[in-house]
Amino acid sequence: MTVKKGKTSSGALSNISRRKFMGTAATVAAAGTITGFPNIVQAAEPIRAIGLGVSIINEIQSRAAKDVGFKIRGQAMGYGALFGKTLNQNDQYEVSECYFDMFDVMIPSGVFQPIDTHRIKDWDKVSNLTKTGMLTPGSQVGQGDAPVRQIWVDKDGKRTDGPSRYISALPGWHNADSLGYNPEETGRSIDSWAELFSSDFKGRVALLNIPQVGAMDAAMGMEALGLIKFGDKGNMTRPEIDVLVDFLIKKKKEGHFRAFWETFGQSVNLMVSGEVVLQSMWSPAVTAVNAEGIPCIYASPKEGMRGWHGAISISKKATGKKLDQAYEYLNWWLDGWAGAFVARQGYYMSTPANTKKHLPADEWDFWYEGKPAAKELPDPFGNPLVKKGAVRDGGSYEQRFKKIAVWNSIMSENDYLVKRWTEFLTS
Amino acid sequence: MGPVRQCRIGPNFLKAAARRRHLMSKVNEYHHAGLIGGQPEADDKTVVAKIRHTEEGFSTAWLVTPASIWLILFLVIPLVSIIVFSFWENTPQGLKPAFSLEFYGEYFYTEGFFDVEAKRFLLPSVFIRTLGSTIYFTLTTMVLCLIVGYPIAFFLAMQVQAFKFQLALFLLCMVPFWTSYLIRAVAWLPMLGRRGLINQALLGMGIVDKPVSFLFYSEFGYTMALVQIYVVLCIGPIFFSLAKIPKDILEAATDMGATPFQIFREIIGPMSMPGVAIGMIFIFVVIMGEFATAVVVYGGKTSTAGTVILNYYGIANYPFAAVNALMLMLAMVIGIVVILRIVDIRKEL
Repeated sequence: MTVKKGKTSSGALSNISRRKFMGTAATVAAAGTITGFPNIVQAAEPIRAIGLGVSIINEIQSRAAKDVGFKIRGQAMGYGALFGKTLNQNDQYEVSECYFDMFDVMIPSGVFQPIDTHRIKDWDKVSNLTKTGMLTPGSQVGQGDAPVRQIWVDKDGKRTDGPSRYISALPGWHNADSLGYNPEETGRSIDSWAELFSSDFKGRVALLNIPQVGAMDAAMGMEALGLIKFGDKGNMTRPEIDVLVDFLIKKKKEGHFRAFWETFGQSVNLMVSGEVVLQSMWSPAVTAVNAEGIPCIYASPKEGMRGWHGAISISKKATGKKLDQAYEYLNWWLDGWAGAFVARQGYYMSTPANTKKHLPADEWDFWYEGKPAAKELPDPFGNPLVKKGAVRDGGSYEQRFKKIAVWNSIMSENDYLVKRWTEFLTS
Repeated sequence: MGPVRQCRIGPNFLKAAARRRHLMSKVNEYHHAGLIGGQPEADDKTVVAKIRHTEEGFSTAWLVTPASIWLILFLVIPLVSIIVFSFWENTPQGLKPAFSLEFYGEYFYTEGFFDVEAKRFLLPSVFIRTLGSTIYFTLTTMVLCLIVGYPIAFFLAMQVQAFKFQLALFLLCMVPFWTSYLIRAVAWLPMLGRRGLINQALLGMGIVDKPVSFLFYSEFGYTMALVQIYVVLCIGPIFFSLAKIPKDILEAATDMGATPFQIFREIIGPMSMPGVAIGMIFIFVVIMGEFATAVVVYGGKTSTAGTVILNYYGIANYPFAAVNALMLMLAMVIGIVVILRIVDIRKEL
């Protein structure tokens, strides 16, 4: 899961707005006119949204507030906290900006209400990546919790076999992760996950230390080496987990790994400081390493990448006016402005056509088409990010999502995996 | 508890303590200079008046109220809820109140238990082993902190005469604490990293032909960083208890022909034990709960009891995270009890 250094959430905003509103109301009352009416509408009860720093960013929610006419009280948190709050406290949010890999837990738990696609204005513009699993015809759906396996539900929120009027969550931002490497240090181009365990890079390799995701990266490496063939890398059996972790422990004892990273910043530091030459990496992190002047390439392994997909969900506890507001906020996400914003962070949005409308042609060509930057391009906050002539590794949006090997997943044997992963780290 | 008893204060210490008490009764009449030296004594009347005033103004109940409320709200209630959570069940529908010992079993249970092929009993469960490695790193750091910190405190308290220099040097010790914890931890990278200062020097002098990597993201680097970050926690208390030793006793001992080593063994050492104990408790408690340094400096290549709690918190398995937290707490309580059995802080303060 990609956690970009999050901007602070707008939890405090509502207080300010209330104070401002009270002030306005007082003035209006004193003046004895009814011109304050629009202010009262504007200050409609805010709704609460929770999510990672990827989607809960002050700029996004305050822009949404401006467009929809009510405040969105965003709370950014870590993946674990988001998972826990979404599952256990669905009275504490109206909208959870979570991820499809959580849905093996969330759907049976019934914390969300099914979303009626008839109330989603741009539903027909949502790409096929989540509807059929194939962005373009003939693409590979990929193992694990692909959104298409998680999205379709009936009006009671139970899974259905195929397309339905109701969905478990609205598809949002997404990306595919793979390996990042320093070509000057590796001396060759990396085109397979097998390289993760190559003895050429012994002591200079790092792995993502989020058990669910790190295990899948390692599994891709083992499979590419021909050591094992997993039934489903996104849902391993206990014996498969044992084979995987035993192999990892052996490699760790040989001193193969330099470090294990947990946050975006750590992965950037490992590469920039030269401690590591090859590691599992998130696409925006590669851009950040390049921005430091260190060569770093985002590999396109022939086995395919590991995908993940944001899922905007509505709490079952949201009713009446709040529910209407939640739908308005969901519709706003698809409208294009947000898609353009997250594009500049390196993420794709489920309504590319709308995104295109809000993104200057240069930027669209760079982020979505994989073409060289025609000029210097900005990050979402307006700071220069991409140098002129730079090319986004991993090719175009279509190329990237044509071959997803596996999607981020929470396995049935998750507890067992976490236990064995702990053993791997302790060994 | 056998080895613990052996560690307890030997006859020498008791003798020294008795002698000290005797000396103390004599030297109490004097005022001592120094940071923690005796205060000018108030005459009896003011003391009585002060006590009266306190009793009339605020009763004991009032005085302890703020602290009690604080502790109940932010310590007792959370603690009780952790204990309660540890018995709950973690179902696919979320948490369910129950009285289940499932996760306690999970904590101790090792699959297989007896390895038939190797004809041996399997290792303790991974969680106990993780706790074990946490304790190992904690004890190593405590010993190293004592070796590094005691001489510094000794120098400050005994060798530096002027109060203002004592204070200045003591503040200097605190300088690292002026920056955030993370910066202190991250700052090791430019020093110990592959492109760090030490590696540059080694390469430059031709001692090695490629950068050595055992300095950082290694057990060595981890232990070193822990010592650097936390040594101040023991310098403070040791310094304070050393500064409290009346200089007159030391002079008397010298006059009577005691060697510096004897003075240290009989007087300074025993009298600084409370400071050592408090310092060790500080370090013990902090490092047992430590998880960030392991990530930043050791590259996450070890699991501490803290990271296990975080991992299970991360997958919303709160009951098991609670069990782990309680086991960690139990280990900490045992550790503190052991330290307090070795040194009776109360008697010495």
